[in-house]
Amino acid sequence: MSSHREAPEISKDPVADSTDVYAFVSPDRPGTVTLIANYIPLQEPAGGPNFYEFGDDVLYEIHVDNSGHGLADISYQFRFETKLTTPGSFLYNTGPIGSLSDPNWNSKQFYQVTRVDRSGAHVLASKLACPPCNVGVLSTPDYEARLGNPAIHHLAGGVSVFAGQRAEEFYVDLGSIFDLGNLRPLESANVYGKAAGLKTAPGVNATNRLNVHSIAIQVPISDLTVKGRPTIGVWTSASRQRVRVSDEGSGFLHTGPFAQVSRLGNPLFNEVIVPLGKKDYWNRQPPVHDKQFATYVAHPELASLLPVLYPGAFPNLAALDKAGTARADLEAILLTGIPSGLIKGFTNYTGAVQADMLRLNTSIPPTPASSSTFSTLGLVGGDPAGFPNGRRVTDDVVTIELRAIAGAVYPLIDPTYHVDAVVPSVTDGLTGASVTDQPLAAFPYLGVPYDGYHNPS
Amino acid sequence: MPGQDDINSPADRAREDGKERPHLSRRSILRGAAGAGAAGIAAAALAGTAMPAFAAASGPAHDTKDRVTDTDTPDQIVVHVRDARSGEIDVFRGTSQTRLRDPQLAARLVRASR
Repeated sequence: MSSHREAPEISKDPVADSTDVYAFVSPDRPGTVTLIANYIPLQEPAGGPNFYEFGDDVLYEIHVDNSGHGLADISYQFRFETKLTTPGSFLYNTGPIGSLSDPNWNSKQFYQVTRVDRSGAHVLASKLACPPCNVGVLSTPDYEARLGNPAIHHLAGGVSVFAGQRAEEFYVDLGSIFDLGNLRPLESANVYGKAAGLKTAPGVNATNRLNVHSIAIQVPISDLTVKGRPTIGVWTSASRQRVRVSDEGSGFLHTGPFAQVSRLGNPLFNEVIVPLGKKDYWNRQPPVHDKQFATYVAHPELASLLPVLYPGAFPNLAALDKAGTARADLEAILLTGIPSGLIKGFTNYTGAVQADMLRLNTSIPPTPASSSTFSTLGLVGGDPAGFPNGRRVTDDVVTIELRAIAGAVYPLIDPTYHVDAVVPSVTDGLTGASVTDQPLAAFPYLGVPYDGYHNPS
Repeated sequence: MPGQDDINSPADRAREDGKERPHLSRRSILRGAAGAGAAGIAAAALAGTAMPAFAAASGPAHDTKDRVTDTDTPDQIVVHVRDARSGEIDVFRGTSQTRLRDPQLAARLVRASR
């Protein structure tokens, strides 16, 4: 998965568990950038009566580094507050919810957005309403028109925000990948799959028909960049106060400074790059300290496993790994951005500081989805507006990263290197079409959340 | 003389300027610890009243630690004796964390916890 339940500690704290981060020049408003951070993974839509909510005790942030030092120059902070309309009822709603202020909706959430930058903290808006969860056809009829769309708040300065439940748009065959690195389209070549007599099969989207909670903000590019530096680094973090005391009377006391418990920049970084014994530690670190994890990028465990799991399929990758060659291609993609000169007309290099951030060159215009150059494989597919130049909602980051780890882009570093013939076929067998509720064409882009009446079906 | 350090960042300290700083005398800590029953080495002083959840936030954003966020329990104090032998004590209040080094105080808290 991108970052769902990716580390031992955070897997036990779902409301603070970031799952995906997206950063892209808005296709319908190209003067703006959209930043999205998803939390609370793998939501069964029918998960009542206490449906999913953001944590009132969690500090959610989306950070932007516009100077290349691996620290936040700008942070958007989101704090939530839950209010009960009818505390005497056990129900989430006591009738159909027809609007964001409907008294039938018992457990409402509101939030405050604050921008923190060098000039200080600036509250952009308070008491903004979240939409309810998509309970079902009786409780939340006409969901998007009555509840989802009205929860898009347009603030001063051309800023728009949304926070609430959305359809999971990230697609991955979890059930296969974490079953000894199996890729169903190639499972007859997997050493264990072959022994088990498995034939090739299409991928299964394990995250389909599930929801997440999204924090999305759309801001003018000029609000995020500084002159002469169009590339920004983006990541999210969730923090909790250091002390929590269970109190008989008032519930819980939270006190002390906020400490980071989760973060996410590039998809799959903590998930498949950082070793298990350091994942929790990684979650507590800021990107500026990522040099300590660079060895796991330069020598990724997965690159050494692929030739073992698929005997004979990756001879050149095996030789590269055996030689102990540092993977400068992966270091560039994940830790510094791609310097100019490697790919004609493209760079998202932010400097020598190694830091896991999504890097978005905001000067590259969005590629229309209808264009022949649009590719969910992003830069690997010849589309410079996609991952790893930021990340769009539909980008096939699993396939991109699998192929990159398998050596697909190593010739950028060493033109004499021959990519193994199987690499263009490496995939978990999914595409954007593997998602039932498709993304929206406009902010907040993520699709309408699945309702609990029809899902699971 | 016991040491006292505000272990927050300089930016955090700057943001505290102009606000009422916590008064963390040995007596107030002990009073808080006793009020909480001193059931363990970490002692909670639960004397305050809840504040609105949305207080002001401020501060630069160069580091994830360099930021101010709100607190809904600014008058409640939690004391953590990190090391009774050296007297290293953390005092948590609101969004601040102050580190003391006071072996005598630590020893009294340890005794009170038994």
